[in-house]
Amino acid sequence: MGTAPGRWGFPGPSRLSGRRDPQTGLWLFLAPVIAVVAAQLALLIWTALLAGQDWVLTQSQQAEGWVGVDNFGAVLSDPIFWRSVRNTAVITGVSVPLQLLIGVGLAYATLEVSASRWIRTALLAPMVIAPVAVGIVWRLMLNVQAGPVNNFLLAPLGIKGPVWLGDPGWALVSVIAVEIWEWTPFVLLLAAAGLTGIPDDIREAAKVDGATPWQRVRLVEFPIMKSVILLIVLFRTLESLISLDVIISLTRGGPGWATFTLPYYIYSLGLRNFDLGRASAASLLFMAVAVVVSTAMVRSQTKAQL
Amino acid sequence: MTAVPAPAPPRRRSRTRWIRWTIIAVALFWALTPLFFLLLTSLKPANAFLEIPPRLLPRSITLENFRVAFNDFDALRVATNSLVVTTAVIAVSLLFGVPGGYALHRLSVSPRVVIFFVGVLLFVRFYPRIASIVPWFLAMRELGQLDTRLAIILGHLGLTLPLTTWLMHTSFRQVPSEFDEAAIVDGAGLWQRLVRVQIPLVAPGIAAAAILSAFLSWNEFLIAASTTREGAKVLSVTVAAFITDKGVLWGPMAAIAALIIIPPLAFALIAQKNLVRGLTGGGVKG
Repeated sequence: MGTAPGRWGFPGPSRLSGRRDPQTGLWLFLAPVIAVVAAQLALLIWTALLAGQDWVLTQSQQAEGWVGVDNFGAVLSDPIFWRSVRNTAVITGVSVPLQLLIGVGLAYATLEVSASRWIRTALLAPMVIAPVAVGIVWRLMLNVQAGPVNNFLLAPLGIKGPVWLGDPGWALVSVIAVEIWEWTPFVLLLAAAGLTGIPDDIREAAKVDGATPWQRVRLVEFPIMKSVILLIVLFRTLESLISLDVIISLTRGGPGWATFTLPYYIYSLGLRNFDLGRASAASLLFMAVAVVVSTAMVRSQTKAQL
Repeated sequence: MTAVPAPAPPRRRSRTRWIRWTIIAVALFWALTPLFFLLLTSLKPANAFLEIPPRLLPRSITLENFRVAFNDFDALRVATNSLVVTTAVIAVSLLFGVPGGYALHRLSVSPRVVIFFVGVLLFVRFYPRIASIVPWFLAMRELGQLDTRLAIILGHLGLTLPLTTWLMHTSFRQVPSEFDEAAIVDGAGLWQRLVRVQIPLVAPGIAAAAILSAFLSWNEFLIAASTTREGAKVLSVTVAAFITDKGVLWGPMAAIAALIIIPPLAFALIAQKNLVRGLTGGGVKG
């Protein structure tokens, strides 16, 4: 045994050459990272503790005693909570598959096109700007009185556009459309990277063997792209579940509770009503879902690396 | 479809070309029009947005909205706060994340421990901040850091330091170990080896980590909003505040929104290559 083979095919750090790194120094290097990580985990434990207490900040500066699982009961019997669960599921369930479809399609469309890098960079614009600004942009676009969507896109076609953000159903549609606008670029980015990673000779070989374009996609490229697509779906699902900023700047959960999502529900409980106990209980319920998804994500990520 | 792999007849090829470019044109229109419209609105006279009948192109172009933003909404101080926070977050993330990633790569611990720690890093980067925002607010209140830039910087580090450490760990693993061994033979200490030998080799990774941290911090809203009252307001908080308080002032709102979106757009254009590397995060070779 010489050097242990590295995970990327390069030799890994040699453990048997007799010269080990000074471990104390390395631990010192890592110490600040460990401190920040530990602090973040401590915050989550604090959330768990708050979930068991009665504390409304507008009524008291201190927690007013332990209440067991009352906060969970209050959240679970709150119709707005269930409305939020439904909205979150609908927004994620509709927008993520559409993002995937459009994004992969665009990755193919921009493949082997001259200036494809410039085109792709331009297409990335929606995802690099601040999500709170995305909400503002679309408030302008969807404004009934002066927004371009109703007045310059639909009106010339003879269509009277809906009151996008004022109608419960259309508000949800708007949120989904904005999610698609903002995050399809992410799918494009990863899918394009995956497609570019497929060696040309594999494509050529399939062509020479007489595979039709559809066969090439289905039998040759899809199996290679599968892990990339899985990664995209996991990332997008998780990020979509936890997205909050766009709701805040686009609809504020309205009209009524029509676009309340789980994160926005927690936000309004905790940072607007200052009901810390209930907000924390809702957080834990929400985390349970998010952890399941992120564990799957981390698994696939580490698997891809090893 | 024939089984013979004859080259596609020119007419068919030009048709797929035509379809391809139509798709690209539609996609570019869909992605960019909203941004142009925002910039256009920010340059229209203050109340022109609600003009009847509505006009797409402004009658005249003016910087009036930006003047209002700077005079009445303290845009200069707010933008300065954003800039200070983002700069500090990048600097500290790199200062701790680069050595951290290197240590994770070189420590003589079981690979399982390393994998577990990488998992924890990813978890801390991605877990929904809404779940810890209440304790975060309470912690900053205890420390007397409400409405300070320090609170925002510390909060953002919770996102960017795990990210930077993870990206750097991935980068260091791709450096052949001969570089380290040669340096050890030459008697270089740990710090020297990191600064003189390794850092030049992983420069693209560092650039990617810096860019991603910059975007995260500049665009972040929730953490910044949770502790901010007035003095430490950053651009994202100001932009979001327009919705409730001053929802009718479309012009100045568009101007401040323009201030927050222009730097990342310009940066994405300049840093195309590293951006793609960073955003795909080593998960996919890009």
